[in-house]
Amino acid sequence: MKTLKLCIALLIITFSVKAQSADKYTAAMQKGMTLVDSASTAEQFTTAANFFERVATAETKQWLPQYYAGYCILHATILGKQDNETKDASYDKAMSYVEKAEALKPANSEVLVLEGYITFMKMSVFSQQRAMTMIPKANALLEKALVIDPENPRAFLVKGQNTFYTPESFGGGKAKAKEILTTAADKYKNQKASGFEPAWGARRCQVLLQQCN
Amino acid sequence: MKKYIYLLIIISSSFSAFAQTRVSGVIKTSNGKTIPGVNITLVNTYDGASTDTSGHFAFTTTETGAHVLHYVTVGFKPDSVAVNLNGKPLNLSLTIKEAVSELNAVTITAGTIETGDAKKGAVLSSIDIATTAGAVADIVAALQTLPGTSQAFSENGLFVRGGSGAETRTYFDGMLVKSPFSSQLPDISSRSRFSPFLFKGTTFSSGGYSAQYGQALSSALILESKDLPEKTSTEFSILTVGFGAAHTERFANSSLTVGGIYYNLHPTYSVFKQNIHWDQAPIDKTGNIQYKWKPTKSSMLKVFSQYSNNDVSLFTDNPDSAGVIHVIDHNKNTYTNITYQDNFNPDWRIQAGASYGNTHESGKLDSNNFRKNDHLLQGRFTLTRYLGQRSLLRAGAEAYQNGALEGWNNQSRSFDDNMQAAFTEGEVFLGDNVVMRLGGRAEHSSYLADWNLAPRTSLAVKTGTHSQVSMAYGIFYQNPDDTYLLQSHQLGYEKATHYLLNYQYLTSGLTFRVEAFYKQYADLTKYDYDGFPKTYAVNNYSNLYNGGDGYAKGIDVFWRDKQSIPGGDYYISYSYLDTKRDFRNYPIQATPPFAAKHTLNIVYKQYIPVIKSELSTAYAFSSGRTYYNPNNPDFLSDRTKAYNNLSMNLSYLTRFFKQFAVVYVSVNNIPGFNNIYGYNYPSNGSTREPVYPAAKRNYLFGLLVTIGDNTFNH
Repeated sequence: MKTLKLCIALLIITFSVKAQSADKYTAAMQKGMTLVDSASTAEQFTTAANFFERVATAETKQWLPQYYAGYCILHATILGKQDNETKDASYDKAMSYVEKAEALKPANSEVLVLEGYITFMKMSVFSQQRAMTMIPKANALLEKALVIDPENPRAFLVKGQNTFYTPESFGGGKAKAKEILTTAADKYKNQKASGFEPAWGARRCQVLLQQCN
Repeated sequence: MKKYIYLLIIISSSFSAFAQTRVSGVIKTSNGKTIPGVNITLVNTYDGASTDTSGHFAFTTTETGAHVLHYVTVGFKPDSVAVNLNGKPLNLSLTIKEAVSELNAVTITAGTIETGDAKKGAVLSSIDIATTAGAVADIVAALQTLPGTSQAFSENGLFVRGGSGAETRTYFDGMLVKSPFSSQLPDISSRSRFSPFLFKGTTFSSGGYSAQYGQALSSALILESKDLPEKTSTEFSILTVGFGAAHTERFANSSLTVGGIYYNLHPTYSVFKQNIHWDQAPIDKTGNIQYKWKPTKSSMLKVFSQYSNNDVSLFTDNPDSAGVIHVIDHNKNTYTNITYQDNFNPDWRIQAGASYGNTHESGKLDSNNFRKNDHLLQGRFTLTRYLGQRSLLRAGAEAYQNGALEGWNNQSRSFDDNMQAAFTEGEVFLGDNVVMRLGGRAEHSSYLADWNLAPRTSLAVKTGTHSQVSMAYGIFYQNPDDTYLLQSHQLGYEKATHYLLNYQYLTSGLTFRVEAFYKQYADLTKYDYDGFPKTYAVNNYSNLYNGGDGYAKGIDVFWRDKQSIPGGDYYISYSYLDTKRDFRNYPIQATPPFAAKHTLNIVYKQYIPVIKSELSTAYAFSSGRTYYNPNNPDFLSDRTKAYNNLSMNLSYLTRFFKQFAVVYVSVNNIPGFNNIYGYNYPSNGSTREPVYPAAKRNYLFGLLVTIGDNTFNH
């Protein structure tokens, strides 16, 4: 009987510890999401990126912290004022997190969208040398994302955004971008994201759409 | 009693949650500069903070005991410090060191100019090569705008630092290419066989190259083919000289590209005046297949196979009879290259390859038939062991089966050679600022019945954030040309010794390089022959022996600025060359015709958004080159006037039936400089005939269309 009691007690302790750690992860993600949602400057994105990096380093089995670490580094770099070399290295760092996310969650539309986004931004650092190879690479990743989830608004958003910043002579331009961004806006209306799954971009989509006119 | 114990356990475990430690501090570089955005992490926990704009950070943690505090940010070396958390506030003062990035890392640059898209230190990208004005998408012509090269004028090849065209060898994914050019015609150079669009990177080494590359006295042209294409696509090109088409099919982990071109220069040559009396203007037919397979993330198999067929016929002056010689030339070449590489472990990399090339050249000089065949079969295996972050050890072995045949009417002669080579080298970083490469190469040739051993070494030392000094020394051996080996089996290796000293300043927008070199030649092939031998068809030489020698010394300067002009980019390269050599049938050491004392190239590219076009302009200057004048008792002491050329091309990017398209217009020698390459004399020296470029001015118009993608694979 005593042994049973001991077992139950131990079980309760172990369980509570486990629940505590799951709670800890959820709480951390909650905090991280608040940081991302309120971020608008390079510094704020860096703070959020650093936070997700810490969670990602401790939680090597969870894909979301890796994903958001990559997402926040990407935005901190886009908004930052570093020299080209540092920007290039930062995009590589963002990509390394997204690759970790991909390893944990293979064939995921959201992960591929982020890879396409980072690839395009990395191209822009040395566009003269990289446009020819990296624009097609970015687009191929987004096409792949759309094959997996044709309803993913972010795949359309990033595709439209890349088109927006690609010169007309290379197959880009505002007119073409508008078409894709309009589709993106429609898909945002119906998006269903649960928990901490990616849900960003609706506002950015509207901003870009206005610039298309 | 037990109950209390459980209670105690539960209480104590929850109590620990209240034992907080505050950790705060500041992070600076060794010069006292504060760094914002550094990520501070208590390893294996979520706890940590970021530094603010003043480099300060603070956080509280419920962890206790011995822990490691890790701190990292882009551009700096990750570092850590041990901390003991016991509730007492910690105030830390930490230093962070700048990391070595790819751009400012010390690298061996003596003799080496990298081009390509992947490397940040690359001097030219593959697009630069394809769009250099005047080069009409010929890799070798584009490389002639780089320092260390001389204008090729009328001979095949890349002429580097006083070396003949034969002293530059081409390596395709590490495999030696025996015949990278089509036939040498009288006073006309031919294009390189490979399209620049096949390659993602080109390393052009004008001396001091690694022990991996053998059989080249002066220069190594290292071509690295592209990886898997992203998409399925089809491309067409229509040019004034012909047309081409290619289709790329992309599968999950592999791709197949099949393409072909047909060039016929007759229509262009009948419109634009030619200095050459063509009987049949060149007709080139080329077909190739590329297969790429990436079975795993770390491995890659590449197969490339190309067949090309060139036909041409022309009349060339015969100085001795005041008549003309009718030259007919057919050249068929097949080249296949299979390579496999695998980084099967982060510390190890294997590369294996096999290649086979075979050329059949046949033709007529008036009523005489001649033929020239050659072949090269090569196998290669390399093993690389990475040591730490950047150092490595490499070892490899190669086997060659090499031969040639030469025929004149009913007579013929041939040779076959089996060669084995082994090489090993280490690249060792001594700290962040010094890298040293030390290696050697041994070769044995059955035909020459001899060994050679070639030590090679380089050293690079960083002198500032963006600058470095590097130097190289090496011994280089090459078998004499096929023409000589066909006529004598008593020849030995030709030898060159290189000494290089290089300074480089490199940022992402600016490149400045200056390099001084000294090259010593020994054992060059000599022979007896009356007059000045032609480089085409078949010649008979007597008394062949390795008695030649010579030297080349000079300075190369390169300046590229990609940042000062919006949308524009220019580079200037200048080479000073002082060289004399005693080889072939030279009576004394003399400056050969292919070595100009001063060479200057200015290339300027500008993207013009209004017309959606890129304009590329190239100016080339070369001081007069020597020519053979039998009337002058001083051998090779006459010089032609200086050479000038200004070329332009305009690439207009557009859509053609909704597909990505480039309209291309290229004009060579716009001002119409009257260039003279040299003079041909009859043996009695009574008259002379100038050698002119094939045409005073060349024009090329073209349309390139890609369906399904925005890139060209062919």
